[in-house]
Amino acid sequence: MNATVFREELRARLLENADRVILRILVSRTQKEPVELTGSQLLERSLALAEQYCQAPPMGVVLLLLPHSLELFLLHFGLILTGRLPAILAWPTNRIDPEKYQRNILHQLRNLPAAQVLTLPQLARNLDAGLPYRVTGCPIPDAEYLEKGFAIELRVDPVAKHYRDAAAEDTPPDAIFLQFSGGTTGAQKCVVVTSEILEAQLRRLTACLAFTPEDGVASWLPLYHDMGLIACLWFPLWNNAPSVHCSASDWLMEPSLLFALAERYTSTFCWLPNFAFSYLAGQRERMERTFSIGHVRAWINCSEPVRQRSMNNFTETFTAWGVRPEQCQASYAMAENVFAVTQTPLGDLPRTVPRSRVKHRSVDFSQLAYDLLDDVYVASGTALDGMSIRIRHADGDLCAEYEPGGIEILTESLFSGYWGNGGFQKQALTADGWYLTGDYGFLSDGHLYVIGRTKDIVIVGGQNIFPEDAEMVANSVEGVYPGRVVAFGVENEQQGTESLAVIAEMRGVFERGQAQRMEREIQKLVFSTIGIAPRYVRVVPERWIVKSTAGKISRKETRMRFLEEQAGLRHT
Amino acid sequence: MQDHNQIRDAARQSVYEMINRQVEDADSLIASGLIDSLSVLKLIAQLEGRLGLRLPTDQLQPDDFESIEIIVETVERVAQEP
Repeated sequence: MNATVFREELRARLLENADRVILRILVSRTQKEPVELTGSQLLERSLALAEQYCQAPPMGVVLLLLPHSLELFLLHFGLILTGRLPAILAWPTNRIDPEKYQRNILHQLRNLPAAQVLTLPQLARNLDAGLPYRVTGCPIPDAEYLEKGFAIELRVDPVAKHYRDAAAEDTPPDAIFLQFSGGTTGAQKCVVVTSEILEAQLRRLTACLAFTPEDGVASWLPLYHDMGLIACLWFPLWNNAPSVHCSASDWLMEPSLLFALAERYTSTFCWLPNFAFSYLAGQRERMERTFSIGHVRAWINCSEPVRQRSMNNFTETFTAWGVRPEQCQASYAMAENVFAVTQTPLGDLPRTVPRSRVKHRSVDFSQLAYDLLDDVYVASGTALDGMSIRIRHADGDLCAEYEPGGIEILTESLFSGYWGNGGFQKQALTADGWYLTGDYGFLSDGHLYVIGRTKDIVIVGGQNIFPEDAEMVANSVEGVYPGRVVAFGVENEQQGTESLAVIAEMRGVFERGQAQRMEREIQKLVFSTIGIAPRYVRVVPERWIVKSTAGKISRKETRMRFLEEQAGLRHT
Repeated sequence: MQDHNQIRDAARQSVYEMINRQVEDADSLIASGLIDSLSVLKLIAQLEGRLGLRLPTDQLQPDDFESIEIIVETVERVAQEP
C-alpha cells in the first residue's frame, strides 16, 4: 500500500464512521467531559487546522511541539491527510530556569530536518530567530499557563532561514509520519514510518489481538511515544474502534482517571509501562470510589522489562474491581519497528522463567542462589506473524534456549535506519537486514524474555553480569528504598577488567551505622547469589541516585556522580 | 485553615522528609529531579497530614509543587477542609 492509497484508506475509514464517535480527548481534568469527535468531525477539523497553520510543502516535515491538546491530535492527522510528514516532539515540562529550558529546546530542534515547527505562540516568538525553518505559533485554548516557562525572551544569534519549497530530496516517497526514539532528552533519533510498515504493523497486531470495532482503548500515554501514538491512537482508529485519551500529567495526579475512562467508555485494552502497574496499585488508597473494570480484555505491560512483582501488585490490589491475572499481558515493542514485535497470548498467564534457569556461558548460575530470592523473568510473548527474533552473542554465535544475548529482529514493519540531514544511518542494521535492538534477553519455546540494555552489561573477568540481577538482589535487603538501586561497571585499571559497583538508597532517615550494616549484607548477598563480589557497595540517603528528566533512574548519571565522589575522596 | 507561615513550615517539613535535605524555598524540586513526578502524590499526602486538610488533586498539576514557594501558593489557593 503506497502513501497515496494509505491516505485515501484513512479518509475512507474516517468516513465509514462519519456519525460515530471515534476519538475522545480529555483535554484537562478540570473540564470533566472529553471532546468527542465523530469520523467526519475528525476529518473536517483536521484538514481545517492543517490548512490554517501549515506552510510546509508536500512531504515536508512539520515538527509538532505542543502539549496534550485537541490541536495536537488534529494536526497530526490533518498534516498526514494533506501530504505532509508530522513529527510529534516531547512536550517538555516547565523548567524553573526559562532561559536554559528554551536553549535546550533550541538545541534539540536546530538539527532536525524540518520545513516548519508548530508550537505555542510565545515559544514560537522566542525560538524563531534561532531556527533555520518556519516557526509558527498555534494558540491552544486554556493553555496560556503553559507559556509561563517562556516568559523570558531568548537572545540568540539569528540563523539564516532556508525555507524549503519542496521536500528534502531523500524523503522516502511512502513516508506518512516520523517518530522519535531516544527519550525526552539528548539526541533525538528519527524513525520514518512509511505506509508499508505502518499498515503491516497494524494488520499483524489486529490479527494477534483479535481486535474488532467493538473494542476500545483508554490511554494516558503521550503521542510522542510509540505506545501512545501507535497502540493507543492509530491501532483503534484503523480498526474503526474508539479510543479515549487523557494527559500523562493529569493521570499522574489522579491515577484513577484511567479506570474512570475505561469504565465509562467500556475500553477493552490499556497499554502501560511496567512502572504504571506499581504506581496504580500504590495509589489505591487515594482513589475515592471503586470502578468496574472487569470488561478490560488486556492490560498490556510494554516498553520496560516486565516485572512479576508489579503485575502481581496490580492484580491483587484491584481484584475486587474485576482485574484478573490473565488480563495482565506483555509486549515487546519499539519505534524502530513502528510498535510491537511480540505479544503474549491473551487469556493465558504470561510465562515465567526462574533466574536460576538462565544459562550463562562462563558461569553456571543454577548452582548459585537465585532461588533464595524467588525472582523470575517474565515473558513478553512470541513474535507477531511476519516477524522474526534471534539472540546472538557478541561474537556473532546464535544463543541456545535460555542463553541470553543481544536481541535482533527482522520484520515486515522494520525501519530503514535512523533518518536525518545525511539520509538514512544504517549502523544499527546488519548486512542481512536484522536490527540490533541494543536490548538483551533470551528465548525459550519461542517466548522472548527481555532482561535489559546491552550497553549496561558489566564484564567482570570475562563474565557478563547483568546489572538488573545485582539490583534485584540488593533490592531485597531490608531497609533499601524499593526500586532505588543501581548497579554499574567501574574500570579496574589494576586488573584490566571492570568491577561491579552497587548503589542503594536507604529508606527513611539516613543513619551511617545502619548503612554500613546494609552494605555488608548487600555485598554478601550479591556474591552468594550471582557469584561476583561487588568491589563497591554504597548505601546512600534517599534521592542520591540520579534520575533522568523523564523520571527514570539513570545508570550513566549515577555512575558519573559516584566516580566524581570517588575522585573527590581520593584527593582529600 | 492555617496561616501562611504554618503552610510554609508544613511545606518545608514535608519536602525535607521526602528528600532528606534542606532546600531554599525557591529551589526547583521536580524539574531538578529532587522529587520525581511519581512522588508528587506522596508529597501531597504528607502535606495533607500536616495541615489536616484535603488538596483536590483533580484540579492540580505536578507543576503546582515545583518549589516550596509554589506549594504554599497552591495550598492557599485550593485548600479545602476535610
